[in-house]
Amino acid sequence: MKTYLLAGVALLLACCYVGNAFAADSDAEVEMLVFPKSYAAGSVSGGGTISGVVTFEGDLPEMKVLEITKDQAVCGATDKYDESLVVGEGNALKNTIVYLIDVSKGKDFDKATKLEIDQKGCKFSPHVQIVPVGARLTMLNTDKVNHNVHIFSSINKPVNKQQTKNRRKMPLAGVKKAEGPVSVKCDIHGWMSAWIAYVPHPYFAVTNEKGEFTLEDVPAGTYKLGYWHEACGTNSSSPASVTVEAGGAATQNFTLKLK
Amino acid sequence: MRTRNVTLLMLIFGIVVGTFHCAVTHAQNAPEASEKGKEVYEQSCAHCHGTEGRGDGSAAENLLPKPRDFTRGLYKIRSTESGQLPTDQDLFDIITIGMPGSSMPGWETSLSAADRWEVVAYIKTFYDGFKESEAPPRQISLEGKIAYSEESVETGKGLYVELGCVECHGNVGRGDGTSAPTLTDEWGFQTWPANLAQSWNFRGGADTEAIFKRFIGGIAGSPMPAFEGDSFLHFGLTSEESKRLTELENKDEMTEAEEAESEQFYEKMDEAVNIALNRVEGIELTAAEQQTYDDAMQVVYEKSWHLANYVKSLAPEERPEPAIGKNVLRSQYVQDELPGMEDAAWETLQSSHFPLVGQVVIEPRQFNPTIDSVNIKSFYNDTEVAFLFIWDDRTHTTGDETDETTGKPLEDALAIQFPVKVPQGPTAPKPYFLWGGRLPVYLWHWKASAPEQVVELTAKGINSAEVQDAQGALQAQGAYTDGQYKLWVKRALKTDDKKDLQLEPGVFVPIAFSAWDGANGDVDTKRVMSSWYTFVLEPVPSSRRFVYPPLIAVLSLGLLFGLRAVVQRRNS
Repeated sequence: MKTYLLAGVALLLACCYVGNAFAADSDAEVEMLVFPKSYAAGSVSGGGTISGVVTFEGDLPEMKVLEITKDQAVCGATDKYDESLVVGEGNALKNTIVYLIDVSKGKDFDKATKLEIDQKGCKFSPHVQIVPVGARLTMLNTDKVNHNVHIFSSINKPVNKQQTKNRRKMPLAGVKKAEGPVSVKCDIHGWMSAWIAYVPHPYFAVTNEKGEFTLEDVPAGTYKLGYWHEACGTNSSSPASVTVEAGGAATQNFTLKLK
Repeated sequence: MRTRNVTLLMLIFGIVVGTFHCAVTHAQNAPEASEKGKEVYEQSCAHCHGTEGRGDGSAAENLLPKPRDFTRGLYKIRSTESGQLPTDQDLFDIITIGMPGSSMPGWETSLSAADRWEVVAYIKTFYDGFKESEAPPRQISLEGKIAYSEESVETGKGLYVELGCVECHGNVGRGDGTSAPTLTDEWGFQTWPANLAQSWNFRGGADTEAIFKRFIGGIAGSPMPAFEGDSFLHFGLTSEESKRLTELENKDEMTEAEEAESEQFYEKMDEAVNIALNRVEGIELTAAEQQTYDDAMQVVYEKSWHLANYVKSLAPEERPEPAIGKNVLRSQYVQDELPGMEDAAWETLQSSHFPLVGQVVIEPRQFNPTIDSVNIKSFYNDTEVAFLFIWDDRTHTTGDETDETTGKPLEDALAIQFPVKVPQGPTAPKPYFLWGGRLPVYLWHWKASAPEQVVELTAKGINSAEVQDAQGALQAQGAYTDGQYKLWVKRALKTDDKKDLQLEPGVFVPIAFSAWDGANGDVDTKRVMSSWYTFVLEPVPSSRRFVYPPLIAVLSLGLLFGLRAVVQRRNS
């Protein structure tokens, strides 16, 4: 009886008590990409190219070595770094999504592109993956350990599927709506992190280690050019304006700071 | 007589409720959302779940698990497949039964069934997905249930390892897997995997069907994945084919024919996966495809029932009765040496169960306890008493990390509390249960960093414990295996220290407990504890019982013979 009383008191206090015992990660709010209302895919002739380099500006924080808490033989063979901010030579900023915000028609997706994320050494690779709406992303498990693929979608249905050590390739169902970027985690190995953008058109690029991006076969016109970076945020409120001529090449560079 | 009355009352109540329940649940769906639903919701649910259903009510802050945010349409306890919304009945059942092990109570007695249905309808308005979906959510089929058997449990045990359940739930299911300490939920809050040995804390119930559904459908918003068909090894193959493929894969070198054979298996598996994905994407299946899918799923369902049976086998059917009333902690007398920690003699004793709750009276408080209870056994002889304390803790924390506010090491610990002087009689006052007050308490304090040491303390309040000058009266041994602590303690019944409790057979002694889980941030007053329970050295029936009854029998017999002799003499 006393236990129930105590439990009752506990509940009562829990209800009345106002304090700041804990708070979840406050930066959980992710800035999203902006998608056009509709998109018509067709053939593009005489399209132009938009390319550029994304660089980082500001004091560069030291890359954090991730704490490997289990499966050391597979996961801890080499040091793993927090990839939320990867800056290379000349301040080149990797893993930035650069894309056309207001494109309404253009080319179709290149069906030959392999849509894969590998789980290798308990790290997702690539860190940022573009996936067309409706296309199937294949999760690879090169590690001989169990992983679970947890995709934190909120517009589409969230996914949380075990990919056991025996399962080399696990294709995932295509999604219905454009969304993203959404976070991908492995709950078994809590440090593993990646991002997926489910996109309705093919004018999306992710910068390489030199910070470079290229958007090809862009129909001539003037576009809003947007970017998204995990640690630096987006320019959705004031995107760059880029004009590309038929067969021409336009350049747009970006310099990003920590948000 | 009283028991019979109660039974009769329950029976009548059962019939009435049963009839009512049937009448209401005949309608498969909740009514249209109404003002009534809003009213009931705002009165009974909004404090925790928020007026807009975001799980951000005024009481939400200190609750863990957090109250559900209804705006995302993520529901943990469903009878439906992964990615599907719950049925109305699912929502109704949760409101009725509550979520064991969390702050969500059952509303069966405080809200009428009609009101609960109104709430179901109202909750659904927080998420547009309920309006958008035309087809009813796909439910998990419970057909072909495999009955519980030793054999099934054994098969399930193999699958438990194969599917990676151990990663979070641990070797024997106590929620102590190597991934357990780093898990977070959809909203970034720390969360712990279920301790499968404590079925009474299973959120959606502990029957085999419930376990099966959690496993197939996953627990949305938590790290628990859905074990959809192709999470299983060799999805799409029959058991025989799967066995054959494993055999082939284990060969160092395959012949051409074997290569071709395995290639056929891979193709068959790819086809099954493809069909399963089409199904999720909403593409209609042909009859042949449906057949392939059903065949593949039959194997999956069979395996899942085995696994559910295994999980079922890990916990007792019900929570053990707490050690109150007649069921107090009774130390059993032995004539000889007291058993050591690993002695088989402990197996002969039933343990007494003591539930523990978060300490919420004094700051810092523990609102989200991770230790559920402690189980205890005890033996004594003419000079000493020994205890075996057993409790589940998902992590083995020995003070490597420190608490940010106090700077004290975070480590697992247990404290056993007695009064310094046993209250004389049942109405005599006991010391305050939070480590004493005006009346002092005598404590045994054990820490995981020094498993062979128990420190004796005296306290007159939860923050005023003092280490006793005279130590060494206690022998201890502690061990941690698979998410469970075992602590063995031995002390003399009588000591020379006036600050110690002196023990005597037959005397009822108040006893209480505190426990700390370092990994859950427990330190100082932030802990779990119990109020006073009772402990007694079960008195040995006196050896005089072997003397007096026979003596009286002999005397009576003598008397009888004497009487007979007297009567006979008189008659003659």
